[in-house]
Amino acid sequence: MAENYILECSGISKAFGGTQALKDVQLHVRPGEVHALLGENGAGKSTLMKIVIGLYQQDSGTMVFDGKPYQAKGPVDAIKSGISMIHQELNPEPHLTIAESIFLKREDTNGIFLNKRKQNERTQKILDDFGFPYPATTLIRELKLADVQMVEIIRAVSTNAKMIIMDEPTSSLDEQETQHLFRVIRDLKSKGVAIIYISHRMAEIYEICDTVSVFRDGHFIGTSALKDVSNDDLITMMVGRKVENQFPKVDCPIGDVVFKAEHLSGKGFEDISFEVHAGEILGFSGLVGSGRSETMRAIFGMDPLDSGKMYLNGQEFVRKHASDSIRQGVCMVNEDRKNFGLCLFRSIRENTSLPSLPERQKGLFINQSREKREVEDVSKTLLLKAASIEHNAYSLSGGNQQKVVIAKWILAAPKLLILDEPTRGVDVGAKAEIYSLMSKFAAEGMAIIMVSSELPEIMGMSDRVLVYHEGHISGEYFRKDILSGEVTQEVILSSAFGVA
Amino acid sequence: MKKTVLMGVLGAAMALMICGSAFAEDTTEVPAEGVTYEADVNGDGKIVVGYISKNFTDPFHAPINARAQEYFDQAVKDGVIDEWTGLLDGETDANKQIDRAADCISKQCDIVIFLPAEAEASDPALVQMADAGILVIEVNSKSASCDEKAIAYVGSDDVEAGNMLAQWVVDNCPDGGKFIHCNGILGNSAQIQRTEGMHEIMDQHPEFEMVGDFDTKWDGNLAADAASDSMSKYGDELVAIICDNDGMSSAAQKMCNDNGREDIICIGVDGVEVPLQMVQDGSMKATILQDGVGQINGAISIVESLVKGEAFDPAPVIPFVLVTQDNVADYIQ
Amino acid sequence: MASSPKTKRAASNQDRIRSLLGQYGIGIVLIIMMIVIAIMEPRFMTPGNIINVATQISINGLLCYGLCLCITTGGIDLTVGAQLALTSCIIGQTMTNMQWPAFLSILAGVGVATLFGFIDGLLIAKFNMFPFVVTLSMQLVIRGLSQVITGGRAVMLTNDWFTGIYSNKLMGIPMPIIIFVVVTIIMYLMLHWTKFGRYIFAVGGNVNAAIASGVSRFWVIVGVYTISGVLAGLASMIYTSKTGSAQSNIGVGYETDAIAAAVLGGTSFAGGIATIPGCVLGIFIIGLIYNGMNMIGVSSYYQSIVKGLIIIGAVMLDMVMNRNKH
Repeated sequence: MAENYILECSGISKAFGGTQALKDVQLHVRPGEVHALLGENGAGKSTLMKIVIGLYQQDSGTMVFDGKPYQAKGPVDAIKSGISMIHQELNPEPHLTIAESIFLKREDTNGIFLNKRKQNERTQKILDDFGFPYPATTLIRELKLADVQMVEIIRAVSTNAKMIIMDEPTSSLDEQETQHLFRVIRDLKSKGVAIIYISHRMAEIYEICDTVSVFRDGHFIGTSALKDVSNDDLITMMVGRKVENQFPKVDCPIGDVVFKAEHLSGKGFEDISFEVHAGEILGFSGLVGSGRSETMRAIFGMDPLDSGKMYLNGQEFVRKHASDSIRQGVCMVNEDRKNFGLCLFRSIRENTSLPSLPERQKGLFINQSREKREVEDVSKTLLLKAASIEHNAYSLSGGNQQKVVIAKWILAAPKLLILDEPTRGVDVGAKAEIYSLMSKFAAEGMAIIMVSSELPEIMGMSDRVLVYHEGHISGEYFRKDILSGEVTQEVILSSAFGVA
Repeated sequence: MKKTVLMGVLGAAMALMICGSAFAEDTTEVPAEGVTYEADVNGDGKIVVGYISKNFTDPFHAPINARAQEYFDQAVKDGVIDEWTGLLDGETDANKQIDRAADCISKQCDIVIFLPAEAEASDPALVQMADAGILVIEVNSKSASCDEKAIAYVGSDDVEAGNMLAQWVVDNCPDGGKFIHCNGILGNSAQIQRTEGMHEIMDQHPEFEMVGDFDTKWDGNLAADAASDSMSKYGDELVAIICDNDGMSSAAQKMCNDNGREDIICIGVDGVEVPLQMVQDGSMKATILQDGVGQINGAISIVESLVKGEAFDPAPVIPFVLVTQDNVADYIQ
Repeated sequence: MASSPKTKRAASNQDRIRSLLGQYGIGIVLIIMMIVIAIMEPRFMTPGNIINVATQISINGLLCYGLCLCITTGGIDLTVGAQLALTSCIIGQTMTNMQWPAFLSILAGVGVATLFGFIDGLLIAKFNMFPFVVTLSMQLVIRGLSQVITGGRAVMLTNDWFTGIYSNKLMGIPMPIIIFVVVTIIMYLMLHWTKFGRYIFAVGGNVNAAIASGVSRFWVIVGVYTISGVLAGLASMIYTSKTGSAQSNIGVGYETDAIAAAVLGGTSFAGGIATIPGCVLGIFIIGLIYNGMNMIGVSSYYQSIVKGLIIIGAVMLDMVMNRNKH
C-alpha cells in the first residue's frame, strides 16, 4: 500500500435474490478528501454505502477502515468506528428536540436517567460553533427542511466521525444554504475528515469534490481526480453512452393563452399574476421557500387561495379539490414524490391510471383491457424501465418512479401540466429523457409550468422564466436573452435574492 | 328496643362466626329461629339499599333486574327504605363489580344485593363491602367467601341443575348413545357446577358416551355450529346435546330440527323466553328453568325482614323447575 | 388473476406463478390444514361436512369483508359485534313483537346497521377522528341501543320464512352459502374491478397521493364503513335466523375472528394491500379451525390456545413463503 487510504473496499459483491446489485467493486478514499460517487440510480452507490455502514452485509469482499479490517454490524457500530451517514431521505423524529436528535442513541445519562440539562448545554455549544441560529431545545418539526439537513450534518460531525457519507445532501437546500454546507465541508476537510459525497448535480461535484468514482449497473467503472475529467467524460462513464444534449429543448410555436392567474394570494405568496401559453414551458425559479411550490399547490387545489382569479382557456377556473382541477385539465406533479406522488405498494398500472379512472369506465367497471393498453403505451413513450406494469412502484428506481408520476398525469391528458421539481433525485440519463418528454408534450400543445431549484435546468428548458422572491414575482426573463447570454445564472440569482 | 336488637345482632353474628360455615355447607338444614341484624348499619338514620347486577344483557338477568327495579322503586315511594342505588351494571365483569362495590360503600349503603359474575374474581367486591359493615345478600351464584362474609345467599344449586340436565337425557334416551356437551364461558361458576352435576349422573351411565366437550362460551351460534359439526360426524349415533344454558340448547335444537333431526334431545338451563316458547310450540321437549325472579324475591323478602328487624332464613334454596309442554304455560309471559 | 396476457418470455410466466404462490401462499396453509384434519378424522372430508363448514363461515365471512375494507383504508371497524346484536334486536322486535312482515323487518335491521356504518364513516372522514376511537365508542352506543330496544330480553323468531334463511336450500345448496358467494362476487368485483376499489387501495396506500390524484378521501372512508355496516347487518340476519333468537348479548368479540380472517388473507394493517380471494382463504381457515377442533374433539380447555397458535403459525408460514419471492 503505497497510498494512505482511510477506507479501502475491495472485491465487494452483493446480490438481492436474482439481482446482482454490486459485482466485484472497489472504492479507495483518502483522509481529508471529498470523494464523489457518481452513477445513475440503481448503479449500486447506495448499496455500497449501506454495506459500509452495516445496513447490509456483503456476499463477498473485504473492507479496511483506518488501517484495520472493518465490518460494521449496523449503523451504530459504524458510528462507533468513526463512519457516519447522512441519508437522502431525512427521517429524524419530528417530536424530538435538536439536542435529543443529535444525541439519539448516545444520550447523556445519570445512571438510568437522562441528563437533559447537560445534553442541552453540550448541544448548544456545538450549534453555536456551527453558527446555527436555533436553541438546542427547538423541536425538529419547527425547523425548515434545510435546517433539518443541517442538524443531521451536525449530528454526524459531533460523533467525531473520521468519515462522513452524504447522500444527496443538497437536494432540499437552496443556493445560499448549499454554499453554507460547502463551507462546513471545507472546514471538515481541513480537519482531515473524509467525505463521501453522492449527488446528481455535476456543478456541485466540480465545485466541492476532489476525486470521483463512477459506478454503472453494479460495476465499478473508475476513479479519477476531478480536475482530470470533463463533464462529458463523466456522463459518458455513467451512462455508458454519449448523452448528446443535456437539455433537449425543441423550440415550437407558442399558441394561445391556456392558463391565466390574476392577483393570486395565499399562504406564502402574494399578488401573483402570470399567463402560460399552449406549447410554452414556463420556468419558475427562486429560493426554496420563496412561495413557488405554495402557489402551484394552491392553483391545483391542494391548498386554499385567499384571493385572486384564474382562467383556463378563457373560462374562469374554479376548483375546490384537486379532483376538480384534474377534471378540467390542470394536473400537477408534486415535488414530494414519496408523500404525494405514488402508492408505493400498488402496481405501476394502478398508480398510473388512478387520476384518469373516471374516463376509463365501462358501465360500472374499469375497462381493464383499455387501461392496460394505455398504461403500457404511456410507459413505452416515457421509456419506463420495468419488467412489467404489474410490478409495485416500490421496486423501481427513483428516476423510474418519477416517470410513473409523470405518466399518470400524461394519461389524464392535461391542458396545463405543473411540474414541481420534476427531476429531483433523478439520474442524468433519466433527466435528459424527462426533458425531451417535456419538449414533446409542449410541441403537442400542452402548457407546462416547471418549478425548479436547479438553475441549469430552468435556463436550459424554459421558454420564459419567472423568478420568485419572498412570495412575489421579482423577475421575468426570456429564452432568447438566455440563449444570447444576456441573462446569466447570476442575473437570475440576484433576482431570486431580491437585489436586482 | 334498640339495645335488644343490637344484642341480638351481636349474638347472631357470633353464632354465625362460630357455626356459620357449618350450616352454610349444608344448605338444606336451616336453623329454625333464623337470624336478625340491625338494618341501619352505619347509624345515619337512613336505610340505603344497593343493587349490583351481573349484567344488563343476558336474557336471564333481564327479568331479575326488572323485578328489582320495580320493587325498590315502590319501596322507596312507600317509605319501606329511604334510598336505593338503582340498578348498577356489573357488565359480567368482576373488575366492574368491584368498582360498583366501592360505589356502594361511598354511597353509604346499609344493605347490598349482589349477583357475582365470577366465583373468585368477584369476591373482593363482597369482602370490601362486608368489611365496611354492609349487609350483603348474594343472589343467583356464590362468590368464594359468600359463606363467611355475606349475611345470606339466595340462589339455586347449579349442581342440581346439572343433575337434572343429565337425568332428562337418561330418561328420554333409554338406549343410551353418543352425546355432546356445550360449555358456558370456562371458569364461570355456573359452567363449572352445571358441568359437575351433569357428570355426576352421566358417569354412572356407561351406555352414554360424551363425544364432544365444546368451548361454546354461552354463545348460541357456536353451539349451533357444534351441533351441525357433530351431526355431520356422528350422524344417527348422536342422541343428545347437553348445554350449560338454554340459549345454547335452543339454538342447537333449532339446528337439529332444521336438519330433520328433531329426535336429538337438546336441553339447557335458565328458562329464558326463546327456549320456553320452543317448548310451548313443541319444537323442543324441555328446558330447566332457573327461577331468577324467585331468587330476587327471596332477597327482597330478606330485605323486608331486615328492615322490620325480623328473623329470616339466611340460605333459602330456590329450586330449579323442569319445564315441559305440560307446565310451560305457568312460566311463559 | 384479472387477465392473462400472452407473455413473450417464459421467465415472466414463472414469475407470475411465483407471485401467485406468494400472494395466495396462505392457500397452501389451508390445504395442509385440510389434510391434517382429514387424516385425524376421516369423516371431515364428507360432502356433508364440507357443506356444513361452508354454511358456518358465512357470518364471519361477511364481517371479514367489512373489516378488510376498513383495514385497507388504514382504519378498523370494532362495531361489527355490536352491530350483530342491534340488527338482531331490531329484527326480533319488529317481526315478533310488532308483527311486521319479515322482509320489512330485515330491511329495517340492515338499514339501521347501514346507518350506523355511515355515521362511523362520517365521524372518521369529516372530523378526522381515529377509526379505533370512533368505532370503539360507537360499539358501546350500538350495544346499548340494542339493550334499550329489547330491555335485555331475548325475542324468539317464529316466522318460517325468516328462520328458513339459514336452513333452506336452493338447488341443494344452503342459503347462507348462496348469500356468502353472492356477496363474495360483489366484493370481488367492487374491490378489483371498479374505480371505488382502486380508490380504497389508493387512500390506504398513500392518502396524500390519492387526494393529489383527485380521489375523494371523504367518500371512500364513508363508503367502506357504510359497506361494513351493510355486511354486519346481513351477517346478523343470518345469525338471528340461525339461532332463532334475537338478543342484545350476542356477537361479543366477533370482530376478532373477522380481523384474524382478513389478516390471514393478506390484508395489511399498514393499509393499501388486500385481496378478496385472500380473504376467502382466511375465512375458510378460521372456519376450519372451529370445525376441525370440533371434529377432532380437542378439549374445550385447549381450543382457545390451539386457535391462537394456528393463526400465528399460518401468518408465519405465509411470511416465509413471501420472503422466497424476493
